Amino acid sequence: MINSDVIRGHIDAIILKLLLEKDMYGYELVSEIKERTHNKFAIKEATLYSVVQRLEQRELIDSYMGEKSLGRKRRYYRVTAFGRAYYQEAIREWRLLNEIMVSMLGSDVS
Amino acid sequence: MNKIKSFVTKLLRGILNDEDKRELIEILTLSLQEKVDDLVEAGTPVEEAIARSLSEFGTSTDVLKAFPETEKQKRMSSRHHLNNFIFALCSYVIICSLAVFINYSFLGFFQTFWWAGIVGIATLFWPLAMFYVYLKAKR
Repeated sequence: MINSDVIRGHIDAIILKLLLEKDMYGYELVSEIKERTHNKFAIKEATLYSVVQRLEQRELIDSYMGEKSLGRKRRYYRVTAFGRAYYQEAIREWRLLNEIMVSMLGSDVS
Repeated sequence: MNKIKSFVTKLLRGILNDEDKRELIEILTLSLQEKVDDLVEAGTPVEEAIARSLSEFGTSTDVLKAFPETEKQKRMSSRHHLNNFIFALCSYVIICSLAVFINYSFLGFFQTFWWAGIVGIATLFWPLAMFYVYLKAKR
């Protein structure tokens, strides 16, 4: 299981990627991350929801009240145009980082 | 909902500014409630769903991880208060040593009673106050 500190710098991009695929509510994001990483990525819900709030404050995502569950409405998140641009920039950064790591660690990581 | 909200409010006590906190309390409470609803829909009893959601949620340290700047500021503030405490403690030791030295080195009035003890007690508030401030910042 990978510690959240290692991946913390990329959590914004991970959330944006998931929301680019479809609008999701908070716990749906957590479940999706757990499912896709087969529980190898240990991020606490407290961290994830707080990151979501930070992304909303930075206008990378926005929210709306969606379908009801047990009589209550859920808050769904979606990516803004600014968020899409930010995500593309994050992908460029990730490719560069990946290139650097592969060139430094070579055959050990391939 | 009240149980969840009071848990979140307690969790965020002493961190972040009021405006950020108000918004975050709302988001965290709602997200936790959504989890509880999902668990209940999947067949978990309500009380068990709430207890599980709260226990799996994380701590205030986990919340701060989402705000690297705030986390850094908190760490810096804690280190700053530790330095203040160490400075106060060293100064206290120097003042007391000087008082004891004067007390036993000079004749006459200065040797008539052990006034260095009074100096020691009177200045003790300084390192104690700094230690309290440091512990508060660390917490």
